[in-house]
Amino acid sequence: MSAQPLLEVRDLSKRFASRESRDASLWVIKDLSFSVRDGEFLTIIGPSGSGKTTLLNMIAQIDAASGGEVRFKSESAPINDPKSLNPGLSCRIGYVTQEDNLLPWRTTLQNVLFPLTVQGRLNDETRARAAELIRHVGLAGFENHYPHELSGGMRKRASLIRTLVYDPPVILMDEPFGALDAQTRAVLQEDLLRLWEMGRKTIVFVTHDIGEAIALGDRTLVLSRAPAKVAGEHQITIPRPRDIRGIMSHPDFGPLYQRIRAQVQ
Amino acid sequence: MASLEHSPASPPAASDSGRLLDRLRSRSDQVIVLVLLFAIWQALSLWLGEYWVGSPWLVVTRFYAGLVDGSVLYHAYYTFAEAVIGFVLGAIPAVLLPFALRRLPIVTAVLDPFMVGGYGAPKLALAPLFILWFGIGIESKIALVAITVFFIVYFSALAGVRALDTRLVQMAQVAGANERDVARHIIFPGAVPYVFTGLRIAMPYSIGGAVVAEIISANRGLGYLVQLSAMNFDTTGVFVALIAVTLIVFICNGAVDFAERRLLRWRPASDAKLQASV
Repeated sequence: MSAQPLLEVRDLSKRFASRESRDASLWVIKDLSFSVRDGEFLTIIGPSGSGKTTLLNMIAQIDAASGGEVRFKSESAPINDPKSLNPGLSCRIGYVTQEDNLLPWRTTLQNVLFPLTVQGRLNDETRARAAELIRHVGLAGFENHYPHELSGGMRKRASLIRTLVYDPPVILMDEPFGALDAQTRAVLQEDLLRLWEMGRKTIVFVTHDIGEAIALGDRTLVLSRAPAKVAGEHQITIPRPRDIRGIMSHPDFGPLYQRIRAQVQ
Repeated sequence: MASLEHSPASPPAASDSGRLLDRLRSRSDQVIVLVLLFAIWQALSLWLGEYWVGSPWLVVTRFYAGLVDGSVLYHAYYTFAEAVIGFVLGAIPAVLLPFALRRLPIVTAVLDPFMVGGYGAPKLALAPLFILWFGIGIESKIALVAITVFFIVYFSALAGVRALDTRLVQMAQVAGANERDVARHIIFPGAVPYVFTGLRIAMPYSIGGAVVAEIISANRGLGYLVQLSAMNFDTTGVFVALIAVTLIVFICNGAVDFAERRLLRWRPASDAKLQASV
């Protein structure tokens, strides 16, 4: 932990005005602090309604905070004023949302190339990278299909590589595999780990599945019920490369699972 | 690395032969309906007499004669030109205005009651006024068609701009899209289906508007032909003009269909069908 953290969250708070009365507003997140090292795979686990999505939205700067700050490479980002938000902080923070959010009027390839298109970075080199990613996740042959012609797992893969293609240093992921069946999910987890081993991005991965949090992460944070705070922190000592399907039989898995489950309420 | 062998569920690819059969089936059914309509028409003509209802055969021969001597085409040309020019002049500002007002919610709100009023007011009642202003030539008909089309398309384009999915916008912004990229890549394509719904509804109104304005006052056009024939107690002539109007509607409908298919290839088939049936 000697290295300077790449991403730092300090005393972050978020309040939603309550419907019943103006004074008693609802704190979803209160004084939440943690940091992420460069190249680290951090998984965050918490009960539903614990503000996990809100947390990622604030880090990605599509949602304003009610207090606290987010520092990226030690520079503080102004996230308390909705007007001065900089979504994606100049393309350095990628965000894979819960829904795939593919543009229905663009083909798979056009969707994957979308960030490069709007960033004005479309050239032979980036196109080749996109083609390679498409091949890597098994979407070759589906480049010219529209999203409604793809299965749920394929759409998920397309949305994942749409973020990987422009190579942001930090990638936020919000339960990206939540809505998939167990088999597809395992395949996608393997894909993700393989892509991560190739590029070693910094990943903040939110999930409500304890097994997934252990299988993927270097470190797992447990969030409490709202107002969310860090209820526990666990180093995942299982060595890489990991075998996703066999990870439950690793001797460290059971005890970790028990300790995390005790904290997730 | 073995996991590269994914077995993605194959995308839904409806069998082409099945689709072709369906289409043939509906075509043959349409022919049956057409024959039925002609039979009813013929029966009415026999029952009421050809003086009141020109027989289908008479109408078809007159229509053919009108095509050969060019008189039907002459009148159809004016009606068609009025409808198309009016349609374009009305639809373009109707599509552009909601986009321009997208960032000005207050202006949109101020305009809203006036737009609702304009939408609700019977445009045909404006025809005499437009004829006073623009004369009995093609201009007054174009003005009437344009104003009719404008209000219909404005509200559907406005609905399209408002139906914007903010999650898509946030995704685009995180990926580095600026204001212009969002308008071009998200808002505009997202509104196109709504715009087409409006165009599809407005299209027959544009032809109807032109014909009615011609009936009120004109010296050419299919509406004039209807009026002239009726004045001469020539019901066959009225039917000839009506058939010509119907054919123009078919042609314009085909043009809208074609443009829609080209622009909305990305929509699931069932969605498009649902849209078309609305």
